[in-house]
Amino acid sequence: MIELNAATKQYGSLTAVDNVSFSVKTGEYFALLGPNGAGKTTIVKMLLDFARPTSGSLSINGLSSALAACRTAVGCLGENHHIPPYLSGWQYLQRCAQLLDMGRSDAIDQCRRIVELIGMQGREHTKVNTYSKGMVQRFGLGAALIGKPKLLILDEPTSGLDPIGIREIRLLLESLKHQGMTIFLNSHMLSEVEKICDTVAIIHRGRLLVKDAISAILKDGDTLEDVFVRLVKG
Amino acid sequence: MNTLKTLRSITRITKYTLSDQLRQKSFVVMFFICVVFVFLIRGCYQGNYMVNGQLLDAGTVVGTVSKVTFHIIAVGVMLIAALLSMRVFRRDREDGMQSCILSKPIARWQYVMGKLLGLWVLSVLFMFILHGIIFLITSVTLKVVMPGYLAASLLCSFNLLFVIVAVLLLSLLMPDIVAFLCVMGVGIVGLITDGIYALSHSQMAQGMIQQPGPHPQSDLTWWKIVHYVWPKLSGMQYFASSFIGSSEVFHGFASVYPLINVLLYCLILGALLFRRFRNEEII
Ligand SMILES: Nc1ncnc2c1ncn2[C@@H]1O[C@H](COP(=O)(O)OP(=O)(O)OP(=O)(O)O)[C@@H](O)[C@H]1O
Ligand SMILES: [Mg+2]
Repeated sequence: MIELNAATKQYGSLTAVDNVSFSVKTGEYFALLGPNGAGKTTIVKMLLDFARPTSGSLSINGLSSALAACRTAVGCLGENHHIPPYLSGWQYLQRCAQLLDMGRSDAIDQCRRIVELIGMQGREHTKVNTYSKGMVQRFGLGAALIGKPKLLILDEPTSGLDPIGIREIRLLLESLKHQGMTIFLNSHMLSEVEKICDTVAIIHRGRLLVKDAISAILKDGDTLEDVFVRLVKG
Repeated sequence: MNTLKTLRSITRITKYTLSDQLRQKSFVVMFFICVVFVFLIRGCYQGNYMVNGQLLDAGTVVGTVSKVTFHIIAVGVMLIAALLSMRVFRRDREDGMQSCILSKPIARWQYVMGKLLGLWVLSVLFMFILHGIIFLITSVTLKVVMPGYLAASLLCSFNLLFVIVAVLLLSLLMPDIVAFLCVMGVGIVGLITDGIYALSHSQMAQGMIQQPGPHPQSDLTWWKIVHYVWPKLSGMQYFASSFIGSSEVFHGFASVYPLINVLLYCLILGALLFRRFRNEEII
């Protein structure tokens, strides 16, 4: 479903992503790990065509990421997610539905279900500038789920959430995975990733260090944290 | 089917741009100040004006005052359009609306087109309403109907398009306020070159050129080039205003040249804007 082919991104003399190739299969729950500044967000940006690769190519569903059509049935939540402060959460979700060319009644139905799913009933009609960071994040995740996407790209979706929120998101993502959704997750929450992901990739300074099934990476009773520290420090 | 979908996406982004601007209190306040200003001008029509000891007839007064207000409104709305456009991309980026739109299967050119149309429709409506008020005042209270007034207003909308495209493009390359000042500078330089050109064609200047002196001819040729090549915003406005009253509209190619000039600039700057935004990094 996702394919990176020698993807490289340079910002001046800095190589944020260095010749990275891997693929994510349909139905896979994939986590991209790496320390701060490793290049995780840059990869997501290139996938969504928010940044152009300096060389190499990326594709979603066999379509080059440079084509708008490749983002059909893709939901995403960016790293520093913002919602226009003058809208209410409900209006934001409605806009997202309209942008996906959804019919009016279908949009209302879906948004209502999503508000329940993200646990924001009763708050959806107040202005976004009265929301906490975690609430904005919940609406961002809700917006990514509009249109029943087949692929979810999430960049640190639990950032700003309380422990209960983190658990809720984990359970939600797990249930989405069981419904056949492919999930691409950027995360620092190694324990969470260990619990739920099928495959992980670890990158450091833009280079891919490892990409494998989590069962293959965790050998000899190691935790994901042990492997991560060893690879990054070593 | 696909074309329809594309059009619907553009229309939606246009609609959001309009509603986001109208939501801003500063915009609404600005609009009401302009409406009040236009109503105040009404007083100018009612004075008895004496020129060289002769009392001017009502028709002349209405024609002249209407033209003056036409120009004031057109220039004022150009300023407002530039102010509205200069922060549009930055605000959309900061509010997360840009990434929200572009993470959907919507191409960048559709986004830019939606923004551009939204700003254009808004400022054209703004100008048309103000010009419409003058039109109504002169038709209802002074019984002088000038159908050309509204046509002239619509013609000036191309100036607004130029300003919006230019400010949007420059706001991607430099700080917003600098982009605003640059485009205003373009307008002012155009006005000056037009003035110099008109002066050089006046009889007095012709007389001066005939006198021997150091290189006046070459200077004027230089100005002539600038005069033709520079964006002709003031020329366009002058052309539009010739629709007001009884003056002759067409004097051959020279009179429609500003329209062609402004349209060409809109096309070129528009192409550059779409090209520049295609390579923009979305945050
Ligand atoms: N627009 C940009 N201009 C210049 N350098 C950039 C830009 N965006 C990212 N970088 C650099 O690219 C590198 C990778 O950044 P990126 O945001 O992808 O890291 P990350 O893995 O997402 O980190 P974090 O875990 O902190 O979110 C960093 O060194 C960063 O400074
Ligand atoms: Mg990041």
